[in-house]
Amino acid sequence: MMIGSSTLALAVALVTTPFFADKSAEEHFEKSVWPLLQAKCLKCHGESKPKGGLRMDYRDGFLKGGDSGPSFVSGKPAESLFLKVIEYKDDIQMPPSGKLSEPELAILRQWVKSDLPWKKGIGADPSKVVKHEEKPKRIEAKDYWAYQPLKKVSPPRTKEQGWAKNPVDAFILSKLESKGLRPAPVADPISFLRRVTYDLTGLPPTPAEIEAFVADKSPNAVEKVVDRLLASPHYGEKWGRHWLDLVRFAETNGYERDGIKPYAWRYRDYVIRAFNSDKPFDRFVREQIAGDELPVEKDSQADADRIIATGYHRLGLWDDEPADPLQAKFDEYDDLVATTCQVFLGMTMNCARCHDHKIDPIPQKDYYRFLAFFADIPRFSNDRNPFSATALTDITPPSKRKVYEEELEARKKNIATLESQLRKIEDIGISRMSGEDKDAALANDREAVLKAKLKGVLKPEENKEYGKLKRELGELKKQKAPESQELALSVNQCRVKPEPVKLLVRGNPHSPSDVVTPGFPIVVESREPAIPEPKAESKTSGRRKVLADWIASPENRLTSRVFVNRLWQHHFGRGIVGTTNDFGQFGETPTHPDLLDWLANDFVEGGWKIKRMHKMILLSATYQSSAVASPDVAQAASKVDPANTLLWKFPMRRLSAEEVRDSMLTVSGSLNEAMGGPSVYPPIPPEVLAGQSVPGQGWPTTQGPEANRRSIYVHVKRSLQLPILSQHDQADTDTSCPVRYTTVVPTQALGLLNSSFTQEQAGIFAKKLLRDAPASLEDQLTLATRLTTGRAPTAKQLQIDKALIQDLVKNHGMNDETALRQYCLMALNTNEFFFLD
Amino acid sequence: MTASQNQFCGRTRREFLWQSGGGFGATALSGMLGQDFFARQAHAVDGSSFVNPMAAKKPMTDPKAKAVIFLFMYGGPSQVDTFDHKPKLYPLDGKSIQVKTFGRGGHRNEGRVVGPKWAFKPYGKSGKMISDLFPNLGTCADDIAFIHSMYAESPIHGSAMLMMNSGRVLSGHPALGSWVTYGLGSENQNLPGFVVMLDPTGGPISGPKNWASGYMPAAYQATVIKADKHPILHLQPPKDLTESAQRRLLDTLNERNQAHMATRTDNSELAARIASYELAFQMQTHAPEAVDFTKESKATLDDYGINEKRTSDFGRKCLLARRLVERGVRYIQIYSGGAHNDDNWDAHSDIVANHTKHAGNTDRPIAALLRDLKQRGMLESTIVVWGGEFGRQPTAEYAQGTGRDHNAYGFTMWMAGGGIKGGVSVGETDELGAAAIKDRFHVKNLHATVLDRMGLDPNRLSYFYGGLDQKLVGVEHVEPIRQIMA
Repeated sequence: MMIGSSTLALAVALVTTPFFADKSAEEHFEKSVWPLLQAKCLKCHGESKPKGGLRMDYRDGFLKGGDSGPSFVSGKPAESLFLKVIEYKDDIQMPPSGKLSEPELAILRQWVKSDLPWKKGIGADPSKVVKHEEKPKRIEAKDYWAYQPLKKVSPPRTKEQGWAKNPVDAFILSKLESKGLRPAPVADPISFLRRVTYDLTGLPPTPAEIEAFVADKSPNAVEKVVDRLLASPHYGEKWGRHWLDLVRFAETNGYERDGIKPYAWRYRDYVIRAFNSDKPFDRFVREQIAGDELPVEKDSQADADRIIATGYHRLGLWDDEPADPLQAKFDEYDDLVATTCQVFLGMTMNCARCHDHKIDPIPQKDYYRFLAFFADIPRFSNDRNPFSATALTDITPPSKRKVYEEELEARKKNIATLESQLRKIEDIGISRMSGEDKDAALANDREAVLKAKLKGVLKPEENKEYGKLKRELGELKKQKAPESQELALSVNQCRVKPEPVKLLVRGNPHSPSDVVTPGFPIVVESREPAIPEPKAESKTSGRRKVLADWIASPENRLTSRVFVNRLWQHHFGRGIVGTTNDFGQFGETPTHPDLLDWLANDFVEGGWKIKRMHKMILLSATYQSSAVASPDVAQAASKVDPANTLLWKFPMRRLSAEEVRDSMLTVSGSLNEAMGGPSVYPPIPPEVLAGQSVPGQGWPTTQGPEANRRSIYVHVKRSLQLPILSQHDQADTDTSCPVRYTTVVPTQALGLLNSSFTQEQAGIFAKKLLRDAPASLEDQLTLATRLTTGRAPTAKQLQIDKALIQDLVKNHGMNDETALRQYCLMALNTNEFFFLD
Repeated sequence: MTASQNQFCGRTRREFLWQSGGGFGATALSGMLGQDFFARQAHAVDGSSFVNPMAAKKPMTDPKAKAVIFLFMYGGPSQVDTFDHKPKLYPLDGKSIQVKTFGRGGHRNEGRVVGPKWAFKPYGKSGKMISDLFPNLGTCADDIAFIHSMYAESPIHGSAMLMMNSGRVLSGHPALGSWVTYGLGSENQNLPGFVVMLDPTGGPISGPKNWASGYMPAAYQATVIKADKHPILHLQPPKDLTESAQRRLLDTLNERNQAHMATRTDNSELAARIASYELAFQMQTHAPEAVDFTKESKATLDDYGINEKRTSDFGRKCLLARRLVERGVRYIQIYSGGAHNDDNWDAHSDIVANHTKHAGNTDRPIAALLRDLKQRGMLESTIVVWGGEFGRQPTAEYAQGTGRDHNAYGFTMWMAGGGIKGGVSVGETDELGAAAIKDRFHVKNLHATVLDRMGLDPNRLSYFYGGLDQKLVGVEHVEPIRQIMA
């Protein structure tokens, strides 16, 4: 027998291997157990990188266990996790390559039963086992810039006076001076107007706008332009799109059916409206996270908006037929945690789902505490129906309500009648059941008992009647909302008292551990959230409002920084922090930390108003500088700052996917500027539709001018994209997209040259030239150049262009209009059209 | 991805720049026209010279193969009717037995056995038992490694397809072909490096999501290619534009672009975009040449079954696959089956009709492909993978008929070619063929095997996204299937 009681064994287990006097036990171990462990376990649970942190090459390894807890508790062999796992009785089944044979299992059972006897000298020497949980060195919160409160900074003094137009410039210039660089000269007016017009509206300036700007010599000419563009409704369409990228906006659910997210377009329109009306960002945050928990607004649109905004929670992927529903539920929560933390806080909290964050000071517990804020949100749908009451809210304005309320009332009555008729039959059935079933039915298992047993106890005619009533009820419930009813994709039917959230060991939903309560990431917030007890009339837990208030508070050191950084990113092509969704240590450090803090402070002090931030940035000399630096600066800068992170010149950029398509439509004169409403479905080539399992499904092609709406109004289907948009790096919709790639591949050129879309636009463009500049070919070419580049053609270019047209007519058998059409196609393909200086 | 020491948190410096908004296009096309062209013209934003993301890259380890042909039997072929011989299942036909299954119809604990509907016989030196569905493929048995103990995480098409193609049941992750081209680039820049060929009945469930590059740049998503006169979308110029007229147009475009670039020499995206038009123009000739079978012998065409109605479609695809491998294309996926129900291997109601049809359409072309590759000395550097997103149950789905429901607990896949042993079978399902019990292999093990044989370390090939070093095989270490590795 082994020496000592189990308590003693426990006490010594962590320091030494117990000594076993029983020779036969030792022998059994050496001859039978150890070879098995070696063959089946130690490859993964040995010395090198033990999986799940579990080592099985010395006895204490079993006692210490791994991520799932101890594998073995001395004295309690029956509870041994090790046994459950090898018997395939746990969620974890080991070895993964296949269950052990019965004789092998018998050996290990016996071994466990006799309290894991081990022979000294076999396996790892416990005294030499180093801690295997060596993790990458995690930096202390106090030492990392992003976790510090905003600094109150003043714009630095610069050597050169007179260049800076506002404080932004002082920060930029000071850095340049420190590297011996100078800013680029001021941009020419046409380049500037193209740049600022695209940046604020996503569209090219018209020739008339260019003419007016070039002619305007007043000192506030730039300011007038900026004001005009910020007031344009197209501003919301451009900046709304940036936001939609972040919140993984899509109008379908993904997966096999990729079914629709009803009324997702209302969320898109809400975002456009929010930008156009300059909604303060803190309000924008609160509405999306917890609009349903905010007080009722007097204005009916404003009140609808706070509900529509919660569509934010509903935009993610949703598997209507998950293989593992529990896993799917937590994947959906993960989508909310990952998106919210990255988008609003620049934190990759999602990295702490299975273990503590590898490098940022985010413990795994924080992930689940954060998740608990969302625990009142029910799944997108509880069955496969995407029109689910959990994801739709009635936002019909009171003036329109009466009509359909009557209809709904009638329907409700019908449903109630049917349900009571069904219940009567069920009760008859239950009364005929056995005592056990009866008890169960009268307790909590009514549904289950009915499902299993009802049919058997009813008479045939009762069964028939029951089936008929059920069908009627089903039909009635399936009926869609009356037309006068307006619904919003949103959260609804939230739980006032959510189920407790538990930390999941290794992120496995089947391995719940300790209960956690909602909490902020400790690295930036030491306060515990004060969640008020829900009032009697509450429809939600009230947790999300607490979270939203925290995110949107002036004291939050991440929110304002993260957002002003995005403003900077979309004006200069790159954020002050390049990794705009990740301010942690896997991300980049800010190129201008003081500027970032100054902007963030200014943003908060200015009431979180976005348009005034745009204006300040755009009126800076930095924004107005040329994309071409003077040669000596370029020369010097190529050594000290080749990536232009210090902005010694303005960074050029290619048009975004939406800008490519919208610009072509604008230039040809076919853009339909109508705003808002349900999305449109421009034609997609049959070759692309052929990739669907049911070609054309979910894409009821829109014809005519409606197809020429701006790209933000094109239906966003997760599994099918408009080729011209996907080829130009449209955002992937499955997760938050903070930065668009800019890829260059030959298939883009093929599409731009040969697709029916560009061919058609080139034809319309040519007709427009003939119509608007009928006098001469030269006039037509001039107008074409103005429309595609903003400038007038040089004499040399006109000559080249004319030569092309003449050659196409003379040597390639084209008539004048066809030749002009091909010329237009060429013009729509130029780099000058595709790039902004 | 030339070497790991160039990486920062698993990213190369350049990937880091793409993500931080430095622009990917900037890095896109050098190499396509020869490295020299770009070395002279352009520098990346970080001052280094450009690397084209699709330029052929040095593998991480000694590669055994340089191309992959994945024959995707969409819908899920039944293992007990194809390659997993279960003699004890035949006499149980029609009997109700206790067996745990999980398919479209949910979890069940018992069912009515549908005995295998085909006889098996031994083939080759290995004596591999193969069902009568594959009389042609049987003759290649000695070149094939069968894995009978595959398992996956989902028995539902949508998520299972994503699992087999991208290693995750969740949408948004790059396909295996994206990983391979990300790691190795492609050897022919006049053709796409990652291509997919679809069944004439349509794409699989979730369509393009199955060959998307997820969080990687779009350069790594597959191009759909067809084995006919119009192989690639938008490859054909409009009818009224002759090749010479288009050339004339492109010359003027080039002139315009050169003038524009003259004062903007430090923006390499401009040069990349100029080059992309030349490549597009070349692709217009090269791609049709690849699908032009006129120089193939009649014997070859016959062998692939191209002259027979029923095998013509899949035969053309298999032959095109060989021709693409010859031309340096890196990763080719061919779908057998498309759309829904019996248009693919999803035999819910009648296993006999369904599998007779799909095996009959593909048996001969696949055998021809293996023989052809072998005879040309290409098999040793080409990996051929065969399988669906899952297998099927030994029991019937419905009270009537021979239909089988989905089964992710156990199924068979096979591999052949570069770095793969021939004539071996590994792993086992239970006596019913219901679940893998011995030497079980997860889909990730299969993926790891493909990467490993291509000279990519599955546990090191990573792409930094969302705060994580993402890997095809996930965070935990995954072993390739060593038993089948030559």
